[in-house]
Amino acid sequence: MKVTLHIWRQKSPADQGRFVTYSLDQVSPDMSFLEMLDMLNEQLIQQGEEPVAFEHDCREGICGSCAMMINGLAHGPERGTTTCQLHMRSFPDGAEIYVEPWRARAFPILKDLVCDRSALDRIIQAGGYVSVGTGGAPDANCLPVPKTAQDKAMDAAQCIGCGACVAACPNASAMLFLAAKVSHLAHLPQGQPERHERVRKMLAQHDREGFGHCTNIGECEAACPKEISVEHIAQLNRDYIAASLLSLVR
Amino acid sequence: MATASAGKVRHPKGRAIIPTEQSGLTWLTAFLDSSVGAKVVVALGGIGLALFAIFHMLGNLKIFQGPDALNTYAFFLKHDLGALLWLARGGLLGIFLLHVVLALRLKWRTAAARPVGYAYPGHVQARVAARTMALTGIVVGLFILFHLAHFTFGWVHQAEQDGRLISYLDLRDAHGRHDVYTMVLAGFRTTWIAALYLLAQVALFVHLIHGIPSAFQTFGLQSRRTMEIIRGLGWLTAGVILLGNVLIVTAVWLGWVGTS
Repeated sequence: MKVTLHIWRQKSPADQGRFVTYSLDQVSPDMSFLEMLDMLNEQLIQQGEEPVAFEHDCREGICGSCAMMINGLAHGPERGTTTCQLHMRSFPDGAEIYVEPWRARAFPILKDLVCDRSALDRIIQAGGYVSVGTGGAPDANCLPVPKTAQDKAMDAAQCIGCGACVAACPNASAMLFLAAKVSHLAHLPQGQPERHERVRKMLAQHDREGFGHCTNIGECEAACPKEISVEHIAQLNRDYIAASLLSLVR
Repeated sequence: MATASAGKVRHPKGRAIIPTEQSGLTWLTAFLDSSVGAKVVVALGGIGLALFAIFHMLGNLKIFQGPDALNTYAFFLKHDLGALLWLARGGLLGIFLLHVVLALRLKWRTAAARPVGYAYPGHVQARVAARTMALTGIVVGLFILFHLAHFTFGWVHQAEQDGRLISYLDLRDAHGRHDVYTMVLAGFRTTWIAALYLLAQVALFVHLIHGIPSAFQTFGLQSRRTMEIIRGLGWLTAGVILLGNVLIVTAVWLGWVGTS
């Protein structure tokens, strides 16, 4: 396979940044997108050029590091897939591929395709602790969790915090990420004592980080490599409204 | 492009995120300041305005019952309601302003959330209606101002009777009441006015097919189970409003109504 890559190169946060075009030959269709970038980087190093900086870690679709916008789509054209699990066979031979970093005010670009996503960590941090009973191990099944609640919690807990929802959202909103975190704990008994306070704190931090608001467009759900549904955003809204009203009358 | 990507890495450490002070005012500011809280108010206002649009359309359908029915109805609204009329007008204006101001404030903030756009923009499932909410909203808002200037204040256009131009507000029927029927006929027989009204109806339709289901999502009432019903309700409501209003304008424009 032969591909033409247009990659965003930016030396530092203060640098202007621009697209640089690279032609790559003899790409195997079985390569993952990151392996293809590795191949490009090896060539760049041999030519004495600076390799393209990109984040990666597990390369098995569970860590959420490999953040990049491929032809205008977060994690590329394959649905429910991270960039590391995207293969070159998803592109036609001779494809023109644009690779850009996530773009959001809350995700400042550090270098090339690497952006600082610690805003998401600070949202989780703002949620605070979760009360858990310590002491002796509880008897099996003494903490009943209904099957439907289990399923919902597990669906939400799949979020790997990659930030694709923010990248894909026309409003640069992190509402799907926030909703996944809130909904995950809202469905489990362990999360109940701090439930109302948590949603208010996390939403306040979300807004403060400079993310946009949700206008129910649904691009986040399409971009999410874990296919988390926007119905979790409805859960977030429900929890926020309830928590706000309760805090007023309390 | 690309200048804003030079933004500094921020570590926001400010005052307590949630006001600990227990007063109704701090609660209200915190609620309206949050993106979800502001959205809830926008959604409530939107539902109120959509309900008004339905009843406005239903009332105006009286034009098909003839001049007397429409003029009686108009007289009832303007004179028999008394103080209630001003309550309704004030309430509507309040809802309208809340809806517009909070929605534009959200939009304004969100515009800053992505200072640098993508060179290769792409989307998967974003509907046109969802992406053009602000635009269709502004079009509908401007149309409402035009509509008030046109029919309520009579500034835009004059009716022609016996070769003389008469202000809309001076039209009188046989009972000495304001002749709304003749006024509507004068308005919609004018091609550019009718075209403008039809265009605005399309904008309103597009605004509502996303706005109505969106309101339910904002209230947290949408789930996989209710999604289809809520979407359907959006299409139905928006469709009924579009159909009714377009019917009135085209019927007058094409002369199906009132060719005496």
